[in-house]
Amino acid sequence: MNARTRLFAFSLVFLLQACAGGPQKAPKELLALNEAQMKIRSFQTRAFDVKDQNKVLRGVVASLQDLGFIVERANGPLGLVTAGKFGPNGHGFVELTVVVRAKGEEQTEVRVNALFNTKPIEDPKVYQNFFIAVERSLFNSRG
Amino acid sequence: MLTTTPNSKISSVQKPARLFRWLLLPIAVGLFSGCVQPMPKVQSFFEVTPQTAQHRALQTRMFDTSDEKELLSASAAVLQDLGFQVEESVKEVGMLRAAKERGAREYGQEIMQSFVFLLGLLGQTSILVPVDVHQQINATLVTRRSETDASRFSVRVLFHRSIWKGDGQSDRQYIPPGIQSLEMITDGKIYQQFFAKLSKSLFLEAHKI
Repeated sequence: MNARTRLFAFSLVFLLQACAGGPQKAPKELLALNEAQMKIRSFQTRAFDVKDQNKVLRGVVASLQDLGFIVERANGPLGLVTAGKFGPNGHGFVELTVVVRAKGEEQTEVRVNALFNTKPIEDPKVYQNFFIAVERSLFNSRG
Repeated sequence: MLTTTPNSKISSVQKPARLFRWLLLPIAVGLFSGCVQPMPKVQSFFEVTPQTAQHRALQTRMFDTSDEKELLSASAAVLQDLGFQVEESVKEVGMLRAAKERGAREYGQEIMQSFVFLLGLLGQTSILVPVDVHQQINATLVTRRSETDASRFSVRVLFHRSIWKGDGQSDRQYIPPGIQSLEMITDGKIYQQFFAKLSKSLFLEAHKI
């Protein structure tokens, strides 16, 4: 083995090391709730003084139509809606899941999770805007 | 004054080609600036725009019926007549989602592609602008009881068009196929046609909101 081959073998070992990472362990905090997540959850949730869950669910669907989303799936009994929308010229993709549940006797709670290019949206302004649209379609619906 | 050396002769022959190459650069940049767009802000996806109310009026009609089931099944039948495949139907929410696939090849785009390609050849580079090859039309239809008059129902339908582009090339960089874009159809005629068909199948008049 000459010096050149030895050098080659040596560098090859270094190069291939990246491939043999071994099984990676899932981080311990993967499923733990931290403070930031609790905060985001509060942005994502809003209670409405409407008893009828189905009415709220339909209000959510109507507001999604107002915002130009494609409602992909809906489930009446579970109060679930998933929707998606592309940005102009296919740049950026937003997808969201909405869950509508009863909150106590008189209220209905709406929880929304939104992703932008598969990353969770953490900007509270986005959720505020969404709930403004829901509110409008729930209380100002015409006709 | 002018002394010509063999060297400068060669360069004067090459000059037009080189000049053309330099000219081509701004042209290519101009052409491709249409393709490269900054990523839109997340907030813009959730904002109600001045067009929102306009679109709503275009896409919504009121019907004098309280039979939501009939309204939904008639809508499904109209969508079927228009060549759509119903993919999702949820009675409790009053929702239908349907889609149809179509080719999206347009004559003008391919002429433009060949023109840019020839222009690129002259500048000794290869530019292949991706063209639209496939499209899907999505229809999302939602029925909703009127707030003010329980004997009336509104129907709102949204048509979206998604387009898939073929592959392309810019100099040595390959542009992969499948770049997708999605736009809402805002042509009033499409919606008018749909509601005309729906009111015919329901034997009911469609009222504008």
